[in-house]
Amino acid sequence: MSALILFRSLTYAQRASRILERAGTTAAITKAPQGTSRQGCTYCIRLPAARLPRVLQILETNGIQHGRVLMAEMDGSWREVQP
Amino acid sequence: MIYLDNAATTLQKPPEVAAAVYRAVNTCATPGRGSHAAAMRAAETVYSCREEAAALFHVPAPEQVAFTMNATHGLNIAIHSLVTPGGRVVVSGYEHNAVMRPLYALGARVDVAASPLFQPHAALEAFRARIPGAQAVICTHASNVYGFILPIKEIAALCRQEGVPLIVDAAQSAGVLDLDFAALGAAFIAMPGHKGLLGPQGTGLLLCREGAEPILFGGTGSMSASRAMPDFLPDRLEAGTVNVYGIAGLEQGLRYLRRTGLRSVREREGDGMAHLAAGLRPLPGLRLLEGPPGTQTGVLSVVTETMNCEEAAEALGGAGVAVRAGLHCAPLAHETGGTLDTGTVRLSLGPFNTEGEMRRVCGVFENILKNGYKL
Repeated sequence: MSALILFRSLTYAQRASRILERAGTTAAITKAPQGTSRQGCTYCIRLPAARLPRVLQILETNGIQHGRVLMAEMDGSWREVQP
Repeated sequence: MIYLDNAATTLQKPPEVAAAVYRAVNTCATPGRGSHAAAMRAAETVYSCREEAAALFHVPAPEQVAFTMNATHGLNIAIHSLVTPGGRVVVSGYEHNAVMRPLYALGARVDVAASPLFQPHAALEAFRARIPGAQAVICTHASNVYGFILPIKEIAALCRQEGVPLIVDAAQSAGVLDLDFAALGAAFIAMPGHKGLLGPQGTGLLLCREGAEPILFGGTGSMSASRAMPDFLPDRLEAGTVNVYGIAGLEQGLRYLRRTGLRSVREREGDGMAHLAAGLRPLPGLRLLEGPPGTQTGVLSVVTETMNCEEAAEALGGAGVAVRAGLHCAPLAHETGGTLDTGTVRLSLGPFNTEGEMRRVCGVFENILKNGYKL
């Protein structure tokens, strides 16, 4: 199952991705699915849901702000798990 | 050709700069809009360049590095962010039209902290007397006419002490002199990519804190449902597709500088200046505008007392020496330096000039002064 962490723009998603790389984990940057952001287009990192807690911890430790955190549902929709 | 017009644009670049531009033209799409491979390659290129710039200039976060077309573009953003009509703005006596024209267009009250050429202490005292109560301070790090290095660290300290925002014009210093954005505490530092940073024309960097106001509005690929520009950097200042090809080249210029070290660039330019000045100093009819050690970059202006400066520059060009003459878009600097009536011939060095070239230039100059200008 996939999870998404949204960022306010591509630059911030890139910064998060770099920090995750340095911490020994990777996450693909992609455009956020339409409707997942309240403000139109943006970018997110997509990762296996099982790695979500660790990734969120790394971001928090490094002071990286992020937007909505979403988990994939069986029907293809996205459920917010953290505001 | 011996190229001594590096203060306008560095012509000789590390070969990897052009190679990166070529690669980007063939492989990069628009960054920050799509998620296909060519778009993401462009995004990676742009972000890597931000990281390189942030590292070189000690910017806390890469998003505080905004891409501009040139230093003038960045200075316009900075000035429009901080200055309002009627606001008192303190500037050095050596500012370029890239600073002065936006200020006059805005209707700012320009307060010139004039001081004699190559006297950093006098410059500092002139600023000290004017900074309290100013809306902003704008100071060139190094004069594009004379290479005079302004005491920017001390001026920045005065600004911090008085709570007055500082804009630094680093058009002539970026890539040559050390610049620490975090330590200076400047509100903005603007610089071109095509001079000391060895990148292509059409590139520039604006190092920013919060509070930057856009002068160009449009798509950013972020917050697209909003009618307003994003309120965060760098998107707030980067409407439309950025110059990815130029940025790809600029990244390589920055990498070269980080690898080589600015000290090495300064030493090479300093050695070249020493040879050039030593060869030109004895020539009759030539007045060199030279400063004491440590007060001048690799920019040497000379007054040709027996020839019009434009004719001297044309004759030099005809003999294979590329220089610039005139007022160099900085009439205020000439007024301060006492060369407004004559203009100057400016010989500006880059990191790839050689001692042998300096010797040849002196010989060419001597011939021109002896023989005069011939069409």
